[in-house]
Amino acid sequence: MRLIRELERLQAERGYLDEASLGELSSRLGVPLYRLEGLVSFYPHFKTEPAPPVTISVCRDMSCHLAGAEHVADALRKELAGREGLAVEEASCLGCCELAPAARVNGHPCQLQDAAELASSMPEGDPVPDGEKPPWRSDPYAEDERYGVLRAALESPSPTDEAERIVEALQESGLRGMGGAGFPAGLKWKLVRSEEARPKYVVCNADESEPGTFKDRVIMEELPHLVVEGIALGAFVVGAEKGIIYLRHEYGRAKAALEAELDRARASGLLGSGVLGSDFSLEIEIFVSPGGYILGEETALLEALEDRRGEPRNKPPFPGQVGLDGLPTLMNNVETLALVPGILRRGVPWWESAGRDGHAGLKFISVSGHVERPGVYEIPTGTTVAELIELAGGVSDDRALKAFAPGGASSNFLPADHADVPIDFATIEERGSMMGSGALVVVGEGTPLLPLAANVVRFFRNESCGKCVPCRLGTQKATEMLEVTLESGVPLDWSVIRKLDLLLRETSICGLGYVALNPLTSVAEHWPEEVPGCSAEAPGSGIVAPHGQR
Amino acid sequence: MIDLTIDGRAVQVPPGATIWEAARLLGIDLPVLCHDPRLEPVGVCRLCLVEVGEPKLTAACVRGAEDGMEVRTSSERLEVCRRGLVELLLSDYPIDASGRPKTGSDALLALASELGADWPDRRSRSGETGEAPRSRTEPAGGIPAGQGRPLDGTSKVIFVDHQACILCDRCIRGCDDLQVNEVMGRTGKGYQTRIAFDLDAPMGESTCVSCGECEKVCPTGALSLRVWEEPPKDAAGSGNTGWEVL
Repeated sequence: MRLIRELERLQAERGYLDEASLGELSSRLGVPLYRLEGLVSFYPHFKTEPAPPVTISVCRDMSCHLAGAEHVADALRKELAGREGLAVEEASCLGCCELAPAARVNGHPCQLQDAAELASSMPEGDPVPDGEKPPWRSDPYAEDERYGVLRAALESPSPTDEAERIVEALQESGLRGMGGAGFPAGLKWKLVRSEEARPKYVVCNADESEPGTFKDRVIMEELPHLVVEGIALGAFVVGAEKGIIYLRHEYGRAKAALEAELDRARASGLLGSGVLGSDFSLEIEIFVSPGGYILGEETALLEALEDRRGEPRNKPPFPGQVGLDGLPTLMNNVETLALVPGILRRGVPWWESAGRDGHAGLKFISVSGHVERPGVYEIPTGTTVAELIELAGGVSDDRALKAFAPGGASSNFLPADHADVPIDFATIEERGSMMGSGALVVVGEGTPLLPLAANVVRFFRNESCGKCVPCRLGTQKATEMLEVTLESGVPLDWSVIRKLDLLLRETSICGLGYVALNPLTSVAEHWPEEVPGCSAEAPGSGIVAPHGQR
Repeated sequence: MIDLTIDGRAVQVPPGATIWEAARLLGIDLPVLCHDPRLEPVGVCRLCLVEVGEPKLTAACVRGAEDGMEVRTSSERLEVCRRGLVELLLSDYPIDASGRPKTGSDALLALASELGADWPDRRSRSGETGEAPRSRTEPAGGIPAGQGRPLDGTSKVIFVDHQACILCDRCIRGCDDLQVNEVMGRTGKGYQTRIAFDLDAPMGESTCVSCGECEKVCPTGALSLRVWEEPPKDAAGSGNTGWEVL
């Protein structure tokens, strides 16, 4: 963390990282130049040239693409052409898809249409919008009851029994990881608890960056006390004394909310040495990511915390055994941690009854794309996609539903006749897609799907770390092929697409590679008439058995 | 000791040994481009993938051997993946790169022919020898060709052809870990990643001491030797230090 923070500090001081400063840093810290080059060129937040006074970052990814970002951005570029001291740059998904088409003006999130005006009148600070915050059902507390579960745990005469009771409750609840992979949370806590090496760490993965996904941002802004308590409970259970919140760079408001909450917790004796007079000590710090979608991959995140390029590690070993600095590390997503206090406070039967039709629990879903009221919705698990779209005001402009991605950019698109699917891990998988990062992206009738699929494949190409051969080259080749087809109408060589998909799925080091062509192959499966050259065969068939059958 | 079977044959290895090392004990040579027994494994070329009865394939060079593991090193699935990976690499590989003098072998091209990769290697064509422009690439197995990566001829000892580089990381580990010169790393991200010297300086202007380790471990000729001839006698004293042969 030290080196990346030092680079951040230098950049904040000088505006960019010039060779002289890097050379001086190299001598001062005894770090070879090649390591600095590796970091500075890898992380998008680091700049090697002075930035103009105003930078407009324009998102071009999934939800913004659906909102016509390319056209709005072209118009903006024309309007601002020749304006001095201003740059317009393309950026990957900014995590504010409810504003789509979204932009950031010197870090202030806004709608792209308002970017030019905002650029002329740069406001100071980044205020949290006023207005009544909706009550969230996941929050079990009145304001003066917060941290009740942690307090009770620390007052228990036997911390060992208490920790085991918490693990049992989480296992019984069936709570799964909400970051994308869906690993059972209770089992993860149990595994890390059983590791003998010390010290241990708890890392809250707050690097949400999947196009269409912004639920964790809202949770951190509005329920930071649940995130902090979730980390503290995790640390109590596994025996860690240090927690780190790995926060994506763009989430300035979430950072402010978390900092304020950490201050409150410290002032109340809930953090620090001997929490509330017990033997349990805990410090939590925020680490701001220097940028990039891949850092949400748990081992890439650890590499960044260890001051290296964020390139995923070969697994096993998993972070629970060999994590930060080679030590056992409990890593959970923001939402997963924030749900823990509610489950423990109200009990597993409450959690089970909070869902619907036999599905347990509550789920935060980011809804974006072609809906009237995009935003974060907290729904009973088991709510159908159709009902959620209605909650969000229905498909925008009175269109019919054409398609949806239930779990963000990496989840397979499903056609409208699957909108009756109850939102839960197993039910969505049965339909051939996944819960993923809990991001419902809605596509209205009349939207061509091949450009959308190409947009998502391009995102994965842009965000590939470049470490392993299949992902570095496969995402690039697929993107090139799609660009040719979109520009000229020349059919895709589907045997080559199938080969690339197979290599990405079978041989990539991490999940980015596995899913990179999902959007394309699912569009080809359900809408073959929109994909010139595609054949009805499933990806990989005729080469080796489809991956799902092993 | 750890007991496992590889392709049905039992083998015993000490704790900490990898599947690749265990396979070697049995005389099974798993294909590798990024691995070298002298270097810490990184598992990036993916060619040594094997089946261990899990849903995902696993890279033998980095995966530790485990008690009771049943490893399969060859199958149709593995062969298709390995050939595809080599074709991916070849689609960006200059068809003339093999012509440059080098210490090591052309490991990529050797694997390509072993696995039956579909690629128009210059050596297999008649009448084109020496005519291909430098760094020309061709599609491989239908995968579109890529180009545009730079050449770096600033070092008097080693010639760098970034287009022929497969980012196996061997040169970097050779420079930083074996020789502890700490000059080489990677710059950029994703498809734009390249090997780099210091703060991405040209090799000849970097702190490189020309030890030659990077060239020696390179499996593709992306780092090749420059061959210089003695200056003719009548040029002695003119300040001319020689001519490059290639």
